[in-house]
Formats: sequence, C-alpha cells, structure tokens
Amino acid sequence: MANRYDDDKFADLVRDFVRGRVNRREFIVRGAQLGLSAAVLARMTRPSRAAANLIDSDPVSPFESPITPERVAFLKTKPYKGTTINVMVCKLTVGDCVKYHVPHWEEATGGKVNVAEIPIETLHTQIFSDLSSGLGKYDAYMPGCWFYGDFFVPDNPYIVPLESFLADPKHSYWDPSQWIPSQGKLYHWNGKLYGALLDGDCQALYYRKDIFDNKEHQDKFKAKYNYDFPAPPKTMKEYHDVADFFTGWDWNGDGENDWGISLHAKVNEQGFFHFLTLSGPYVVSPDNEYYFFNPETMKPLINSEGHLRALEDYVKFLANGPREQIAWTLGQGWNLFLAGHSATEPTWGDLPTLAQDPKTSKVQGKMGAAPVPGTTEAFNPITGQWKKYDLNQVGNTNGGTWHLVLSRLSKKQEATYDFMSFMANKKNAVWNAATGWTGVQPGMKFEYFPPLGDGSVAQWKKLGWNEDDVVEYLSAYYKVLSNPVSQEYLRIPGTAEYWHELDVNVSAVLGGQMQPKAALDATAAAWEKITDRYGREKQKALYKASFA
Amino acid sequence: MVARGGHSVAGSSFDRRHTRGRELAALRIRRLERGAAFKYALLLPAVLWVVAFTFFPLISVIHYSFANYVLGEGITGYVGFANYADVLTSEQFWHSIWVTVIYVAVAVPIELVLGFLAAWLVNLGAPGSRAFRTIIGSPLFTLEVAIGYLGVTFFSVQGGLIAVPLGALGIDIPWMSTAWGGIAASILLDVWRWTSFIFIIVLAGLAGISSDLYDAAVLDAKSHWQVMWSLAIPLSWPVITIAVLLRTVECLKVFAIPFALTTGGPGTSTQPFSAMDYLTTIQFFDFGKGSAMGIVFLIMVSAVITLFFKQMRKSLA
Repeated sequence: MANRYDDDKFADLVRDFVRGRVNRREFIVRGAQLGLSAAVLARMTRPSRAAANLIDSDPVSPFESPITPERVAFLKTKPYKGTTINVMVCKLTVGDCVKYHVPHWEEATGGKVNVAEIPIETLHTQIFSDLSSGLGKYDAYMPGCWFYGDFFVPDNPYIVPLESFLADPKHSYWDPSQWIPSQGKLYHWNGKLYGALLDGDCQALYYRKDIFDNKEHQDKFKAKYNYDFPAPPKTMKEYHDVADFFTGWDWNGDGENDWGISLHAKVNEQGFFHFLTLSGPYVVSPDNEYYFFNPETMKPLINSEGHLRALEDYVKFLANGPREQIAWTLGQGWNLFLAGHSATEPTWGDLPTLAQDPKTSKVQGKMGAAPVPGTTEAFNPITGQWKKYDLNQVGNTNGGTWHLVLSRLSKKQEATYDFMSFMANKKNAVWNAATGWTGVQPGMKFEYFPPLGDGSVAQWKKLGWNEDDVVEYLSAYYKVLSNPVSQEYLRIPGTAEYWHELDVNVSAVLGGQMQPKAALDATAAAWEKITDRYGREKQKALYKASFA
Repeated sequence: MVARGGHSVAGSSFDRRHTRGRELAALRIRRLERGAAFKYALLLPAVLWVVAFTFFPLISVIHYSFANYVLGEGITGYVGFANYADVLTSEQFWHSIWVTVIYVAVAVPIELVLGFLAAWLVNLGAPGSRAFRTIIGSPLFTLEVAIGYLGVTFFSVQGGLIAVPLGALGIDIPWMSTAWGGIAASILLDVWRWTSFIFIIVLAGLAGISSDLYDAAVLDAKSHWQVMWSLAIPLSWPVITIAVLLRTVECLKVFAIPFALTTGGPGTSTQPFSAMDYLTTIQFFDFGKGSAMGIVFLIMVSAVITLFFKQMRKSLA
C-alpha cells in the first residue's frame, strides 16, 4: 500500500469484512481500489471447500460440513454398525469435547465409541502401559504433544500415519493445509501426519480492557511509574509494573482488594507452562531458536544466564497474586480472573472462551488480549552472549494441543480414524474452538477472520461471543502462533520427565524451598541423567527430528 | 447296615468287600499322609502363590535395579550399582523418606489416641455409642484418592470449608502453598480416614476383656481414667500393638491422600516415598532407578519392622 493512510483504510476494511459489514465481493473491489491485487484478495478470502469436490451439507450427517459425495453414500450404509472403538482421553475439558461428539458420530455411522477419561497426572502412564505391554486395549489416545517422542522410540512406532486414511473421501473431510504452520507441526513427525485436528494451544496475555482503558487508572499509573500506562504491556518490565500497580487495592469497586496477575502454578498440573512462556523472550530471539538443549551436544541450556534471569523475574510475580496460586490448578487460576479480581493472566485461550459464559464470568465484553510481553535483552545460550533488541517478543505453542492419535495395535483403524476425522471436520472444529467448555483453541486458518480465514464475527456471536472479545482474542492468538520468532516445543522421548524435573524445581522456587540458581542447576543435572538413560546420540537425533 | 427295601445285608460278601475296600483306602491315605509327597501337595498352592506373587516379583525388581530401562526399548544395558548410587545420593529421595517418616510419626500416634479413646467411650456404653460406631466407620469405606480431592475443597482459600471459616476468625493457614501446611492438611485427612481402623480393632480388644475384671476394677478405682490406665490398656496391649503395627506398615505406603491433595508440591516438599517411586517407575518408566529405590526402602522398612517385633515380644514377655 502506498502510505500509512491506505494502511489504516485497509485495516478498517478488514474489520468491516470480519464483522460482516461488507461482503466478499465488496471487500475485493475496495481492496483493489487501495492498490492491492484483486487476485490476491480473492485468494485470501477463498472459502476452503473450493479445494475439493465438496457439498455444503447433507441430512445423512447433519454435524458435518463440508462433506464429500462419497462420504454421503458411505454413511447411508451405516458402515460401522456393530463396531465398537475404545478411545482414551484426558480428563480435561478437551476430553469432554470428544465425548460431546460421540453420539453424533454414532448416529451417523452406526458405530459405538467407548471413551475412557484418564486424569492428566496418570495419562502418560496409561497410554504407554497399554502400548508397551502389547495389550492395545485402546484404538486411539489423546496425548499432550509432549508425549510424541515416546511414540517413536520403538523401530516400529506406536502410532500410525494418517495420510492414507485422509486421502480416502469416504471419511469425514478436513484439510490439513489449513493449519497455521506452527500448529500443524505439532501434529506431524518427520513430515508425516499422525494427529487429527482437535486443539491448538498457545499462551497469550489476557487482560481487563475496561480497567486498562480507565483514564483515572492511567493517570495514577503515570504518577507512580513516570511513564504512560502501557495498554497492553509490551515488555516484561512494563508487565511487572502493571501487575504491581493493580495489586492490593479495590480497582473494580466491589469492596475487596484485587490482584495484578493470576497464575495456575500447581506442580504436576501444567503450572510450569507459565514459566516456559514467560521465560521464552529471555532466551529465544531472532539469533537463537534453542531453548532446551544445545542440538550439537544435547547439553541442557536450562540453567543459562537467560533462564536464570527469567526465573528470578518470574518469582517477582508471586507478590502480585494470591499466595495460594502456587497450588492452584488451571480452573482455580482462571476463576480469579473470571470473577473479576485479577487484571491480567498469561494463559491459554480457554480463558477468553470461558469468559463468554455469563453464569461463571463477570468479564464478558471486557477482555483484552495481546502477545506475551517480550524483553529488550536476550541471552543466547549457544554463544553465551547477551544482546539488546528494541523489542524481543516471542511466539509459542505451549500447552497440550490435545488431539487423537491412532494406535498401531488397533484392529479397527478405519473406524477409529473415521471418528477422529469427524471431529476435525470444519463444522465441528469451528464449534469446538468457539465453545468455551470444550477447552479447544483455534489452530486452523478457517477459524480466523479474513484475510487469513473465512470465519466471521457473526458466526462466533451465534455461539455466544461478545464481538469485541472475539476480535481481540483471535487477533492476539494469531500473532502468537504466527510470530516468526517462536519458542521451540520439546517433543523428544522422555519429555514428560524432563518437564517434570523443571516443574518441581520451579515450583520449589515458588514455594521458597530453593533459590533460582540452585533450582535450574538441579534441573540441568537431572536432564543430563535422563538424556544418558535414553542415550545421548539417539536423543540428539530425535531432538533434531522434532524440529523437522 | 440297611439295604434297599429295609432288609439287612450285614455279613454278605458285598458288605465284606465294601468294608475291605474302605480299609484299604484309609490305609493308602495314611501312607500318603506319612509320605512327603502328600505334604508337599498340600503346600503347593501356597508355595506357588508365594513364588508367583512375592519371590518372582522380588527377583524381578532386584534384576531391574541393576539395569538401564527405557520405555519402548526395554533393558538397554546393565549399570551395576549406578541406580543405587543415584538413589542414595538423591536429595529428593531422602526428602521423600523424611516426609514419610513425619507422616507416620505424627499421623499414627494421633490416630491411636483418638481411636483408643473413641473405642473406650463406646465400650463404656456412652450415650449415642451405637450411632457413633456406624458414623466413625464410614471414612474407612471411602477411597483415599477421593478424600484427597475432597481435601482440596476443604483447604483451599477459594471457598474451602475449613480454610474460609478459619480465615474469617483471623486464622490464616497456608494449607496448600507451603510444605508444612500441605503435610498438616494431608495428615488431618489421614486421621479422619484411619482413626476408625484403630477404633474397630481396639474396640474388639476391649470387648474381649472379662466384665468381671471391669466390675472389680471399677470398685477399686477412683475414676474411669484409672480403670483405663491400669486395666484396659495393659490387657488390650497385644491388640493395640497389632493395630499400631498394621497402621504403621500401611502409613509407610502413604500415597493417595497427599498426592491427590497437593500432587507433592510445592516442589516435592509434600511428596512421600510412594509418590516418588510411583512417578519414577510408573509415570516415567525408569524401572531401573525405581526398583533400586524400592529395594532401599524395603531394607529400611524391614529393619524398622524387625525392631518393632523385637520390642513387641519384649513387652509381651
């Protein structure tokens, strides 16, 4: 575009298109008037189903859209009548989401699905006991993405690739090319697809927009910290100041003192993801992509100067939230924000989706969202140098990105894949991502607004979303997922164990039982032992493969 | 002997043959009984059971304790005593032993005192004893893991049934966010769960004391407390000892309540030995280190239990 003025006009146009105020044709015409290629605009806004021989929907399976004619014919035969598949899911909201789709799939195919819900703390054990013992009681499992490496330790991996099933039009249609690349990577191993779309995790910063926009608060902040209120904070220093500012006084006027931040930091309950996310910009930068290991030696990087400064800064946040948050599970952490008592929370997209339920949330329509704040200086643990940046903001895919994988031991792989693909179908995928209690976040382009995808605000509003909240949420979420400087996601064998060591040591620092330096050194020492147990050379090769 | 139709057939050749047959059978059984084979045959099921479920697993655990085990590959090599060295130099291991010892040292005596007093009162026929007997037993039938999760709703500052009223009274205890708070909360739940176990055993012991002895003691003693100290406790001492032994052994294996309540945190500060061994062996499939850990703990517990038995024999002598 020619100038800043046109840039703003295009942003307005996109906003109008997203909100359904202009249609696709008008969007292309007005975009072309601004000097953009009509062909590019048309391509950007193209409905995804144009890629295949698809029909919008068919009464034979009302929960699928789009659908292939071959599938319509296939479903008419009730192909899986008499077939029962067993699926192991995590006892989290994502597990409930899978259960939600079971009757719909059963109705469409005649098959039956038994869903076993396993608590997160024993999920890894249950999955790999079933596989390594050769029992193969389950046809599909729902691992966190950090379990992936363990599936590939045997020469014949425990899970099977999905491409051959995907190519068969009798199964429910879904399009892996729609993945935002950072998300699609987590469903693949060495270039092969192993997972069917369900979840798409990353952590972003969520904040109270109404409180941040309050002029009185902004003035008070400026008086106290001598600079303009950063709404939202872009650096960690700003974030610490904002969290500190909103701590210990009644900024929402309900008679109770409120907090600057809410964390869910319970050990063994995914609490360490906070540290992973918030420490990313201290180590990862345009000059260094490695956060966990030196890929040449498999020596841990976790006790580098950058990680240490990150942990020392992370601990400071404790004073800005309730003391008990170090023992809070996800739900407890979210509750504080949803009840209106916390100004910010760095967490998953569950928070803004849960905020849309007025029964449990006081913050609908008040959600702000932004990428996690960055740093102005990052440590490169490979070269051992600090380097200054204007702003080093780092994307991430931290979380479970929970989805189903197909067991090599399953004797009903066709039927099992069919169930997996049913949930990956666009209609179900959009519903999953837009519905709060499912715990599913958007990882596909079509779930976003144009020009990236073909979603619309109207579609989300229909599912109970506040218009401003969804625009804020998806905009920030995409920025995190598409940041070219992104924190790596560890997927090598033993990741659960590596992360457990980090988890308990970070938790010990939060609990005041260890100093940050000692905790990170202990973590590095434990990681060395784990690497040696699995075999350093093998781990090195798989670490590199996990980047492929 | 009466044959069909009521006619006596005593002295018939059939009867003689039959009697002779029975005698021969009895003789064979007597011979068999005298023979080693029969004895071994009777012992065989028990021996098989012990071999299958005690001896074989123990040998297997010892074998694994010298091995390097990797999920998906199995044993990848033997490492000598490296797993033992790793365990014995692990701060986390010794901390988990310390947590377990505190747990046993605090929970078992509290349960013993409360269980004994409750049994004593019920045995005296205190008002409401029948209903109390039913109520006190109910936690025993509740899953420990459920009690642990229930504990979160008791001790959380977000609407906890115990934490909130105490907080309102100005007693602000960091149950879930500190090591001592987490251990104290776990012990309270454990006491709630297991006091009834002591109660039931001791009540049976007290009920076994002759009522004549009670009547005589009541005449001589100044109070019920004196009767308790000088009669009930000494006479039910063998039963109390067994109750303490069983409870101690069970408590050394404590896992579900603290793990469900705090998941061992903050850090590993509330993690008992069983939870650490579970995570190492079952969660992360490090059978080598987990087995070494189990063997070290077995040796330690065996030493304690042996001392306990010696002490018990002395006190009963």
